[in-house]
Amino acid sequence: MSNTPGSPTLHSNAAMAVELTGITKRFGAFVANDGIDLAVHRGEIHAIIGENGAGKTTLMNILFGLLQPDEGSIRLNGEEIVIADPSVAIKAGLGMVHQHFKLVPSLSVADNVFLGMEIRRHGLIDHAAQITRTRDLSKRFGLQVDPTERVGLLSVGIEQRIEILKVLVRGARTIILDEPTAVLTPQESRELFQTLRSFVAEGMTVIFISHHLEEVMEVSDTVTVLRNGKKVATRPTAELSKDELVHMMVGREVSFDRRPRASLHGDVVLEVKDLWARDDRLLPALRDASFTVRSGEVVGIAGVAGNGQTELAEVLSGLRPASHGGAWLKGQNLTALSPAAIRQAGLAHVPGDRMVRGVDRNASIAANTLMGRQHRAPWSRGGMLNWNAINQNAETLIKSFDIRARGPSDAVKRLSGGNIQKVVLAREFTNGADFLLIDQPTRGVDIGAQEAIHDEIMRQRAAGRAILLISVQLDELAALADRILVMFNGRIMGEVAGDDADEERIGMMMAGVAAPEFAAETAS
Amino acid sequence: MRDHLRALSGQVIAIGVALLMGAIIILMVGESPARVFMTLLRGAFGDQEKIAGTLLQTTPILICGVAACIGLRGGMFNVGIEGQLFLGGFAAAWVGFAMPLPAGIHTLAALALAVVAGAAWVAIPAYFRARYNTNEVVSTILSNYVAVLLTSYFTIFLFKRPGGWSETPPILATSYLPEIFSFSRLNWGLVIGLVLAVGAALVFRYTKWGYGVTMVGSAPKFAEYGGVNVKRQGFLVLLLSGAVGGLAGGVETLGVHHRFMEGFAPGFGFDGLIAALLANGSPVATIFTALFFGALRNGSLLLEVDTSASREIITVIQALIILSVSAQVLVRKRGDSQAGERRWKF
Repeated sequence: MSNTPGSPTLHSNAAMAVELTGITKRFGAFVANDGIDLAVHRGEIHAIIGENGAGKTTLMNILFGLLQPDEGSIRLNGEEIVIADPSVAIKAGLGMVHQHFKLVPSLSVADNVFLGMEIRRHGLIDHAAQITRTRDLSKRFGLQVDPTERVGLLSVGIEQRIEILKVLVRGARTIILDEPTAVLTPQESRELFQTLRSFVAEGMTVIFISHHLEEVMEVSDTVTVLRNGKKVATRPTAELSKDELVHMMVGREVSFDRRPRASLHGDVVLEVKDLWARDDRLLPALRDASFTVRSGEVVGIAGVAGNGQTELAEVLSGLRPASHGGAWLKGQNLTALSPAAIRQAGLAHVPGDRMVRGVDRNASIAANTLMGRQHRAPWSRGGMLNWNAINQNAETLIKSFDIRARGPSDAVKRLSGGNIQKVVLAREFTNGADFLLIDQPTRGVDIGAQEAIHDEIMRQRAAGRAILLISVQLDELAALADRILVMFNGRIMGEVAGDDADEERIGMMMAGVAAPEFAAETAS
Repeated sequence: MRDHLRALSGQVIAIGVALLMGAIIILMVGESPARVFMTLLRGAFGDQEKIAGTLLQTTPILICGVAACIGLRGGMFNVGIEGQLFLGGFAAAWVGFAMPLPAGIHTLAALALAVVAGAAWVAIPAYFRARYNTNEVVSTILSNYVAVLLTSYFTIFLFKRPGGWSETPPILATSYLPEIFSFSRLNWGLVIGLVLAVGAALVFRYTKWGYGVTMVGSAPKFAEYGGVNVKRQGFLVLLLSGAVGGLAGGVETLGVHHRFMEGFAPGFGFDGLIAALLANGSPVATIFTALFFGALRNGSLLLEVDTSASREIITVIQALIILSVSAQVLVRKRGDSQAGERRWKF
């Protein structure tokens, strides 16, 4: 140990289980982690919270040796270490439970737990000893499993316990859990928290990644908030309110640079009623949503990412089935239509994940602007494409939307993020649809392009389009929306008029405090 | 354009590396690489008969290559072309010997049934892909074995020529694909292949359907978002790919063998797939890669006569080409991982 009493090394502290200093990780031009410092005390439950894409998983993958940082250093128990790969991390007493489990379905629980480090006797696997040790461990930490059961027959919640047991038998003293509750029922989550508490009671350390406020407040001792790849703060949980956490997660610097507007609300274009939908895990993700959007109106959807906004957008565009309720676009029920028929009915859609949904990166700008309108004249006649018209139109769009490209035949992957988004907007805003579904229009887009995109949305509003604007950026909604609906946990918690967008109130609703309850609080 | 050049230079480097490694292996078996390659060249292009022979070998590879290109364009890896070729070959032979028809019409009818047989054979994996999302790579590979053995069964037990080898009766002369020159069996199948290759390229570029299919293959989620029915297009593309695979068998039967026999066209389906991959899924470029493989096959005949190298060296060189093309994709994948993974799904 270099850390002898009397000569304290700078920044080094043996009471710290984990210290990350100045961790930076870039993927191409994208900075996933930007100079992050993190100190985790031994024997605490340390939550790392942030929205999807804030850099939580990247940071933990670096700590576990799955990724190498571009800059920065790592200390474990006060000693500097280079974690070249996960085996180094495991040897140093780290263990990680991933979001996606890696188990062999045909083997028993005990065989899975000891896979790769089997207990041997006379050169053969000692199944009895493995079963006994698995049973002991599972009793000690309240991880109820039957060691002899075959994994393929078990539920996800139990699979997670097996993953935790795997980490324990490999001697982990610091356990990282990546979004552990994402796959669990509320009951299973509560049991998991019990287990985590029993770990720290034995002097172990837990790092817990989440984007759910409730559970962070419930289980953690300390919270570190990440936003856009940067650390916002590390604070003791007891000193924090949910409201403060939300503000740290989504950013407080809300600039209410509200766009001037004339009131021109027309007929109802979109009516959503009692709409429910499930996520990919088949759990309810959108619950009982009801609202309307009129022509000449921008309705904003606010909320921390992952609270049902994606599912709402996918149901409205026909990419995900509704489990209950309906959505009517000018009288046609969208939940019964295919994506093509919904476009026919008058939808334009700026998708949230534009690189995957919004463009074919390998194709030209011209080919990208054709999507969704290839069935109509003048773009095609009798099944034959009219490339002259398509190229000319792309040329016009490049000019009118100020897309920085050499020409229509430029591949989209050569463009910057902001210009790719302009290609999507140019295509969707010019296809004559009455209803615009716009999801995260300025995510990852530079300031200049942001202004241009906001201008364009306001022009569409002035042209009488009905606009549903989904954004995790409050300032964007405050600038553009006539009304703001706030989503939490799949529900619409309440509505705020855009003209007096009260960030206090929106923040509370984003944190899951219902509007009436809050109203009662302020009244008293 | 810059992308095209980059892709082309990559392929050329890949072939160059493969030939270099092939040369090392030739040295190891104690032959002179220069002599082997010169013999190959002479065997493939030495005189007009040899050139015709090369084109004759090129024909089935080209048609199978176009079949593979059609699948690849829609994101479907049809590894079952070999089986479709066998069934198409048998179906054409059956029309040829069992169904007397006027000349010309007879040929067209036989080719039509070959097309139907190929499409029907791939319809099974295609249905399971569309309905249950089973991996078409696995199911089409497996369907090859069934197809080859099934046609053997037909040939040996149901339609065997009395007293002959494991082959069907010869087809009637009315169903022959006419030969182009008097000195070679080279026939109009080559023209069919060239027309198919150019036609496929035009369809992909200039039709609405081709646009949708290209998007399904290159960015399926984008296509789905834009209203293209991804599952239906995937099914259709596999069906069309299988149809062309069946046609390749029909052409081989009607143009070359004039009967169906066991193992009548070994490996053409796989060579076609490799030619298509080497051509980056472009049907027009497949004309040249198919010619390259055809030349290797035809040139290898002279190899055993004139040198001490076995003609299996050709198989080795082909395998090396596959390796270096895959390696090239892996290298490029670092820059653009999605494209690489999509093209090489397994």
